[in-house]
Amino acid sequence: MSDNNEVRILTTPQGAMNLRNEMSRRGFLMVSAGAGMAAFLAACGSSSKSAATTTGGSTTSGAGVSSTSAASTAAPVAGAKTFNLYTWAEYDDPALMESFGNITIDIFNSNEEAVAKLAGAKGTSGYDMVVPTGGYIPQMADAGLLETLDLSRIPNFKNLDVAYTNQAWDQGNKYSVCKNFGTTGWIYDTQIVTTEIKTWNDFITACQTVAKGNCSVLDTAPNLCGVYFWANGINWTTEKADELDACEKFIVEKLAPNLKAFDSYPGINLTKGDYALSQVWNGDARQGLLKLVEAGKDPKRYKWGMGAPKTEIFMDNWCIVKGAKNLDASYNFMNFILDPVNSAKDVAFHGYNTGLVGIEKLVPDTVTLQDMIWITADQQKQLETGAVNSAQDRLVAIYNKAKAAAGK
Amino acid sequence: MTAVSTPANSPMHARRRLRLPRSILAFPAWFWFLAFFAAPLGLVVYNSFGSKVPQSVGNVSMASPSLGRYREALTGTFFTVFETTLKIAVIGTVLCLVIGFPVAYWLATRASARLKGVMLGLVIIPFWTNFLIRTLSWTIVLSPEGYLSHQLQSWGILGGPIHLLATKTAVQIGVVYNYLPLMIFPLFVALDRLDPSLREASKDLGATPGRTFLQVTGPLAMPGIIAGLLLVYIPLAGDYLTAKILGKAQGNMAGAFIASQVIDAQNLPAGAAMAVILILLILGTILAVGGIGLAIAKMSQIRRSVYVDTGDSI
Repeated sequence: MSDNNEVRILTTPQGAMNLRNEMSRRGFLMVSAGAGMAAFLAACGSSSKSAATTTGGSTTSGAGVSSTSAASTAAPVAGAKTFNLYTWAEYDDPALMESFGNITIDIFNSNEEAVAKLAGAKGTSGYDMVVPTGGYIPQMADAGLLETLDLSRIPNFKNLDVAYTNQAWDQGNKYSVCKNFGTTGWIYDTQIVTTEIKTWNDFITACQTVAKGNCSVLDTAPNLCGVYFWANGINWTTEKADELDACEKFIVEKLAPNLKAFDSYPGINLTKGDYALSQVWNGDARQGLLKLVEAGKDPKRYKWGMGAPKTEIFMDNWCIVKGAKNLDASYNFMNFILDPVNSAKDVAFHGYNTGLVGIEKLVPDTVTLQDMIWITADQQKQLETGAVNSAQDRLVAIYNKAKAAAGK
Repeated sequence: MTAVSTPANSPMHARRRLRLPRSILAFPAWFWFLAFFAAPLGLVVYNSFGSKVPQSVGNVSMASPSLGRYREALTGTFFTVFETTLKIAVIGTVLCLVIGFPVAYWLATRASARLKGVMLGLVIIPFWTNFLIRTLSWTIVLSPEGYLSHQLQSWGILGGPIHLLATKTAVQIGVVYNYLPLMIFPLFVALDRLDPSLREASKDLGATPGRTFLQVTGPLAMPGIIAGLLLVYIPLAGDYLTAKILGKAQGNMAGAFIASQVIDAQNLPAGAAMAVILILLILGTILAVGGIGLAIAKMSQIRRSVYVDTGDSI
């Protein structure tokens, strides 16, 4: 629209005005129609191109599966490569996923949410694979939500360290294969929380004082209640009524009114500066710090700490959903992801130990913040495995009451 | 095309007798209503009398139907949540009316025909974007590290970053933003249909602009106002995305609480009972407000007629 395209007309001043208005209005309508069309096409494009979608109104933007940058050099996979995966946010390297094939990713915030959706769909969810935490697998298997696995179709299963196979909740790996394990801790803005947080008690104190109204906890019932149990030396798998009562009283009355959010992914939202203090999983915290560096901000402003004196260790697992339509692709994928080279790439992205033999040596030194990935022998002593037991409904009730108390 | 006068006993006439009843035209609507509204609602009510099988993945037991879930919902935390919801819904609806009415009035009575089209277009444009995306974009605007926060700080208007996200204010802003067009449209339609000569007549008869508005424009626009209020209030009271995204922990509205019962607690009966209570409470508030409105209208009519009577007696 430069002066070169100038149009000259002879008319009255009023006529010129009308013409100009008419033209600008037409231009406006055309531009807006164009914009609308573009937005519409973009929306169609993204749904068919299987970018990650969000569920349950979560605020996570989802992993950009369709990002084409830095395509992996992994060998192409033979056979079926298209399937639907139901998993946690930012849990798989987009480039690696793209090098495998066409994977549609959908996201959940908690195991409870995933189980409820799969149970509600009764085999018609359309998902081929799901990534639940170990403790939830017996319940899901009993309810007929999971397909039994044929391990002979996953030759790379042998690459897993035996410490991470044949777990109590799935003996003989009938339903699941280890995806990775991780732990829970905190991350805080040192400009606001100036004293170091060393224990869950420090976390609670900071949440009630300097970070009041500015802290978040994980959006899952066991993790929320874990804050109280870990701080007070109670095993978080407790089923004792008096301990659960005390937990409820504390969480609902003392912790909830200070909370800003129940957020399962505060790490990847770190660049937005939403919280001064967050309960967070180690891989998510690491991704957040890496994103800060990418955004040209100072990652030293935020400090990560692993939960103490006790905290959780979780193992998330690849499982095939009952009624899956893309069985071949699912097996192909499990075999692909258990390949040491691929696994190392995935670790570098998501920041969780995948439990393969010698995986620590396979991740190159150029990968930063590795101290947040590997759990030292010393830290091992702090870890407690969770369980789904008779207290589960009670924990969820506490979590719901906490949500109501926080929003009062 | 003019040869339509067919003899009485032609085949055309015979065929006309075989016509299906006209109500068949309404069949798609009825079918849709029954299959996708009445039946699911019936299921919700049915499930609300059941109970969750403990330790299961949300199985519902109908072994001993009871009102137990309703009792739990009424004594539990649900009521606190509902109070918050009601407050946000009422304030949001009133704000939509206060903001929407002048816009609709101006569009209908003052704006030129050309401008009218453009302005209505502007009101519609946000609808081209998905509801979720529109709400999510507000998190960028309101974020403490967002451009608004930085800009306001650099201008010296704010001493520190804005802390609007995850507050009730953010939810209130979000719902007004999301539901405002639903208020503007019915208001505009009602006001646009008003014959301008009615306002002129009122003026000619000596009424002040304020009085014309209160006694002519206002009452005639009432159908639009009522439609707008209902269109905004009902979905707003059940909204859960806006509250969840912008309010975070502070935005626990009834809709989110019910979803949590079904999704996190896997307790469909409890969620169903709360949903039924929510429906009844929303209907209750509408009936109460409607009743009060009718009573006020009646009273003002009486007062006006008294006024007219005294005028006559002089």
